[in-house]
Amino acid sequence: MIHRGAIGYVLGQFLLIFAAVMGVPLLYGAFAGQGDGAPLLYGAAVTVTAGGALMLLPRPARELNQREGLLLAVSTWLAICFFGCLPFYFSPHFASFTDAFFESVSGFTTTGATILSDVEVLSPVLQFWRCFTHWLGGLGIVLLGVAVLPLIGHGGMHLYRAEFSGATSEQLKPRMKETALALWKIYFSMTAVLYGLLRWAGMNNFDALCHTFSTLGTGGFSTRTASAAAFESPLIEYILIVFMILAGMSFVQHYRFWVERRPASLLRDPEVLGYVAITAAGTAVIAGVLIWQQGYALENGFRSALFQVSSIITTTGFVSDDFEAWRPLPQLILLALMFVGGCTGSTAGGLKVSRIMLLSRVVDREFKRMVERRGVFAVRLGGQVVPESTVQSLLNLVYLAFVVNFVSCLALAALGVDVLTAIAAVAASMFSVGPGLGAVGPLDNYGGLPALAKWVLCGDMIAGRLEFYTTIVILTPAFWRK
Amino acid sequence: MRILIAGGGQSATLIASRLIREGNEITIVEKDAARCAHLDETLDAKVVRGSAASIRTLLKAGLDTVQMLIAVTNSDEINVLACVIAKTFANVKVKVARVRSHEFADWRRVADENELGIDLIIHPESDVMERILRVVNVPGVSDIIDFADGEVKLFGMNVEHDSWFAGKTLEELDAAGPPANSLVALIFRGQQVIIPHGAQVVLPGDHVYVCATKQNLDAVLEFMGVARRGKLKRVFIVGGKQIGISLAQELERQGVQVKLIEKDAGRCELIAGLVKKTIVVKGDGTDQATLEEENIEGVDAFLALTQHDEDNIIASLLARRLGVGKVVALINRLSYLSMVQRLGVNTSVSMRLSTVDAVLQFVRKGGVLSVTTFREEEAEAIELIASEGSRYVGKKLRDIALPRGAIVGAIARTGGEVIVPRGNVAIEPGDRVIFFALESVVPELESAFLDNKKRRQLLA
Repeated sequence: MIHRGAIGYVLGQFLLIFAAVMGVPLLYGAFAGQGDGAPLLYGAAVTVTAGGALMLLPRPARELNQREGLLLAVSTWLAICFFGCLPFYFSPHFASFTDAFFESVSGFTTTGATILSDVEVLSPVLQFWRCFTHWLGGLGIVLLGVAVLPLIGHGGMHLYRAEFSGATSEQLKPRMKETALALWKIYFSMTAVLYGLLRWAGMNNFDALCHTFSTLGTGGFSTRTASAAAFESPLIEYILIVFMILAGMSFVQHYRFWVERRPASLLRDPEVLGYVAITAAGTAVIAGVLIWQQGYALENGFRSALFQVSSIITTTGFVSDDFEAWRPLPQLILLALMFVGGCTGSTAGGLKVSRIMLLSRVVDREFKRMVERRGVFAVRLGGQVVPESTVQSLLNLVYLAFVVNFVSCLALAALGVDVLTAIAAVAASMFSVGPGLGAVGPLDNYGGLPALAKWVLCGDMIAGRLEFYTTIVILTPAFWRK
Repeated sequence: MRILIAGGGQSATLIASRLIREGNEITIVEKDAARCAHLDETLDAKVVRGSAASIRTLLKAGLDTVQMLIAVTNSDEINVLACVIAKTFANVKVKVARVRSHEFADWRRVADENELGIDLIIHPESDVMERILRVVNVPGVSDIIDFADGEVKLFGMNVEHDSWFAGKTLEELDAAGPPANSLVALIFRGQQVIIPHGAQVVLPGDHVYVCATKQNLDAVLEFMGVARRGKLKRVFIVGGKQIGISLAQELERQGVQVKLIEKDAGRCELIAGLVKKTIVVKGDGTDQATLEEENIEGVDAFLALTQHDEDNIIASLLARRLGVGKVVALINRLSYLSMVQRLGVNTSVSMRLSTVDAVLQFVRKGGVLSVTTFREEEAEAIELIASEGSRYVGKKLRDIALPRGAIVGAIARTGGEVIVPRGNVAIEPGDRVIFFALESVVPELESAFLDNKKRRQLLA
């Protein structure tokens, strides 16, 4: 039984908080003296009104149940993408509501795909907001709510599971709220450190802030149209590489490492090892191609390869080099890395390294079963036995991802988008990467796509961010059955 | 001695009947009414119905008047709790608890560090496991038992028709020049147990136990025509209870390829998560087709460790027929033990017997270090420390009038010297002496080993 009033009420609370969050860029604008906060101000006003209206609903008497949690997670995301797009819509640089909404979804889902051909025309306050959406969406806007809102209570667990990425949602602390706070604490600390480093490397205050938000959220919006390449600073690129890679690791493990001081937990995590190994292997092959076949200088080739591999595997989507000018092999490796993605519990998208590793173990077990007809084998990841239910749900998720992927590609093709662009755009959206190949390559943008294609990709981004199940389950009739 | 046994299961019955035969006063606390009635009918003991975790029940059963508590209920928690109760409410000298959890080692720590007053935590699985691990490598040997911290070994073997010493007397065997410090200590022939003397003939079909020191064990084995095999390569285990899993884990650690066959699907999944390289097979280990399909051919050892004796026997016999050199069966009913040996199963082990052995060492008086029971408790190996006042100490063995049916198997001197003695050796105070004796003469032997002062104390 779904209590819609309850969801509306909690959503109202979320929106009020969200309106307050919209004040952050305004504050920045006021302090830095970089004006034109009007679009944001209007957006915040509409959000406050809507939130206030929803809170006129009767305060629910009980905590949310699982279905309501799922529905709340999806409606919160939709609502936030909608209200978050208002500042863009109220500014003169977005041609249509579709474009503003696409930009907002791309921001909150940390995709980083843009419809703007020239980013620099936006006012600093809007640019700040654009990058800030990455930072908010990275760890999870709902998680923020869980940390702050008292009402969610036990229902917070369902929300956390719906939003927090990965095969297993491990809880750091016995209480949901404590877990959320701990995660935000480590997220916030890493933000502060990266900001300091970027300032030290010579970025100005504004660029440093915005790039910090984009990097930690593994988003990919930049204040420059040319992305990271615009700074022409190897030092900045290396700093971004390190933090992209860190943001692609589990924040639960970061907490263990930095706060609880249990380094083994992170350093011996099979997923982290696999993630580092994949990154290293991808970088080695691409660097080899760039240096030996395309005549890059040694350091330059290595840096370009490492930057792009880190950017794509963590699904950030920063660009330091035009990878469409690379040979086919590096391009395809990058496309494959989009599917892999970062680690469980990180801000990265993709299928996640642990899922890929688990998938290989499942296949391995299938081979063993073929040889030993009566044999019973456990699926293990790093010595831990993976329960059969997890294996099942993994297989279902991969199936769902492929169905969504294929149907979206078909839809784009039907709208006249060419094959390479369609495949790359869908992958880059579902797995929150941003830049793709073809017409949506590193030097292009999504502005030229048909409006309907943009809506399809918006759906892909949200479905991908909530890891398919949550979004798709509310579309099934069974979900609404009493 | 007055002894309270908590729990009235199979092991408890075995321990009780044994202790009753040795002249102790037994009270049993058992929860189940039908079981109580059965115990009442079959044992010369007082049976109290109730929970062993109930303080009142235990006191009603005379907890405050006994010298020893043996807690062997089906529940580990109750066993530990009963000992704690005994420490709190009565001055029970010796408290023994059986813990079947695989975390028994941690439980020993818990008991020690919190001074729970548990003198002995019995974990029969690990005792049996060690016993299996010792023999799994030696196909011709049924059993190897350690004494004196492993310095003295006793191994059992079947005498085959083509064995070179079949039909010879022990004197003749002696004349063939066996390695020093070895001795045929026990002979089992059908239902009969023989504590042998020189003129005794060894017949084909006999099962003999031979005493040797650690150093010359290999030489003695060779002399008796038993080959030690090289490294174990493949082992089959049937039955996925705790002991099967522990063995699989230990063997895979040693680099052995293990296949564990278990009937229950859910159990199989659980085990698959506990073992690393071992292949868990869902199937019936008593089914020939299954065993053949799983490639039993060429397997070095086959361990039948289900909880059903009958399944273990059938599986073992099948394995023998399919050509496995070393077959071990877990047998709980003592009456099956001698039969199993004759059917050709190399080694049979029993959790209940090993529980009894562990308990007996505490019941026995006069510095007894270990007790090992053979077959249906017809014979025992006893390891004890010879004390000053004993009437056996200081005299040459040939001058001691040992009871008929008893023999000194080995002496471990305090200086580290180990001898398997002949008649001209004397027992010195402080020696660890290993006896082999028929059960009927054990009490006589033990009281002879007590020094006079202690005996007077006990009699008073």
